[in-house]
Amino acid sequence: MVRLRTSFANYVTVWVVLLHFVLLPALFFAMGYVIRKSHEDLFVEHARTFARVLAEEFEAGVALDSPERTEDLLDLAISHGEARYAELFDRGRSIRSQLGSTGIVAPRHTDLGFAQGGDNIYFIVLPVVRSGHNAELRLGFDEQPTQDRIHLALTRMLWVLASYLTVAVGIAVILSYRLSRPIHQLRNVSRAIASGDYGQPLNVSSGIRELHELATDLEDMRRELVGVNDRLRTKVKEMEISEGQREELQKQLRHRQRLETVGTLASGIAHEINNVLVPIILFTDTVLKDLTLSSASRADLERVLAAARRAKDVVKKILTFSRELDEAKLALIDLRGVVTEGLNLFAALAPSSIEIRTEIDAAIPLVKADATLALHLVINLCSNAYQAMEGAEGVLTVGLRYQERASEGAITQLCVEFWVSDTGHGMDPGTLERIFEPFFTTRSVGQGTGLGLSVVHGIVESFGASIAVETQIGVGTTFRIFFPTTAQAGIRSDTDVPVA
Amino acid sequence: MQNILIVDDEPDVRDALKRVLDLAGYSARTAANAMDALAELERIPADVVITDIIMPKINGVQAIEMICKAFPATRIIAISGGGNFGITSYKPRAITTTAYLASAQSAGAHLVLTKPFEAVELIQAIEEVLGVGHA
Repeated sequence: MVRLRTSFANYVTVWVVLLHFVLLPALFFAMGYVIRKSHEDLFVEHARTFARVLAEEFEAGVALDSPERTEDLLDLAISHGEARYAELFDRGRSIRSQLGSTGIVAPRHTDLGFAQGGDNIYFIVLPVVRSGHNAELRLGFDEQPTQDRIHLALTRMLWVLASYLTVAVGIAVILSYRLSRPIHQLRNVSRAIASGDYGQPLNVSSGIRELHELATDLEDMRRELVGVNDRLRTKVKEMEISEGQREELQKQLRHRQRLETVGTLASGIAHEINNVLVPIILFTDTVLKDLTLSSASRADLERVLAAARRAKDVVKKILTFSRELDEAKLALIDLRGVVTEGLNLFAALAPSSIEIRTEIDAAIPLVKADATLALHLVINLCSNAYQAMEGAEGVLTVGLRYQERASEGAITQLCVEFWVSDTGHGMDPGTLERIFEPFFTTRSVGQGTGLGLSVVHGIVESFGASIAVETQIGVGTTFRIFFPTTAQAGIRSDTDVPVA
Repeated sequence: MQNILIVDDEPDVRDALKRVLDLAGYSARTAANAMDALAELERIPADVVITDIIMPKINGVQAIEMICKAFPATRIIAISGGGNFGITSYKPRAITTTAYLASAQSAGAHLVLTKPFEAVELIQAIEEVLGVGHA
């Protein structure tokens, strides 16, 4: 079944019209009956009174004795009593007023009611009793004027009711419009809310209490939704941040696992190579003891031995590094001293084409680290920077500062930042991804072991510090190491450490 | 002539050591694992045992403990090239050459030597353990 839906205004209007269409005819017929009845009663009353008075006149007076006088009285009924017919019947003789309408035949008895017989005349028949007479007065009153008055009254009433209907429908339309306007506004706002627009405030001022309350409730709901929405947005943002942190942690974990895998392999390979180097070194050594060897063979064997020793050194580097990390003694140290010492060592190696700048803050708190390993760190990073600028002029900047570092969760942490910046060739993303892997190197064979930055990474991890790299091809690279500090760590600024 | 037993699962390492020691005037024998070494010592006692640490079945540390118990007079030199017992037991920065050699020393080794080493270093090590023993 299809249910017809119409607007509130139409609904109210239709119902008002329907109601009046039922009520107004009923009202019309009821009031019509009253009007008709009162007019008829008045007419009948008048006719009967007049007839009684005339009959008494005949009974009391002498009119019956003379036909002329009888006719005069009957004429009076026509001229003053609104009758159209007047007749006196006495002893078989009939006297009729000549003023009345002709062609009317009176009945022998009084009409039972108004507008009977279809002749538009109300007849009254009265006996006139006087000694010697047995007369009968017959009067006929014209119903037409009364009929006209009734008709006129009904017509007027119809006009009044029609006017009333028009006004009532008009009021209903205006009223329903006034009612439906705030409802429309409420609807618009709730639609806006449903479609996600909570910003539109609700300004419904209705004199109707229920609508006013509904508007107030809706406005409260909207405000609540705005609040909930804001809270949700904050929550989602927080979740996005924590998701970002999780991804970052996972990335770090993957990186760490890869480093560990590579480290495991490296350690295993170191063991194998060491075992292989034992017979190489010892047998070569033994053969070299043979005095009958030609000088050329001896020179060749010396080179075998030298190569084996170099291999031994490479492997030793890995294992020594592991051991150093293993034996790292973390203590609160002043990084300024370590950085200065590292720079002094490095400056002796660096060619004059490289300019070394320092940006070391005066006040740096102590950080938890191992002094020997920290020195390794400085030298490794400086060597790496220098190699990135090899064969060209460049600037190497080493900095140390105490600052707040904002991490992903918008939590700021106090830390000491140590950075080494070069103006070298920079790195592509593929290289950047792998720089901390052991044995990963971009340099040609024999120029580097590829251990430098993995050593840096290992050292940074053993300190519980973190490392970040910024690089741009052709512009340079900056390594930043963040040492977490605690509020308890005192800030050291008593002495200025000279920098070479 | 001092009697020396070399225990290592690598034939090349065993032979190289034997060659150096033979040339240096020692009487050197070899064993591929700890069980063979014990049997060999049972047969003819040795003055010095040079043993690897990482070996299949019975590792060097266990072998040192057994030799110390059965032949208290024998001087022991532990040698190791680092690495780890097995990839699954890998602990970064925990098990290194130093760790192996330290545990060998605590098990009873008189001297530890990191692989690879020069012939001179080996001879010096043997002289050292024997010198200490005969002083």
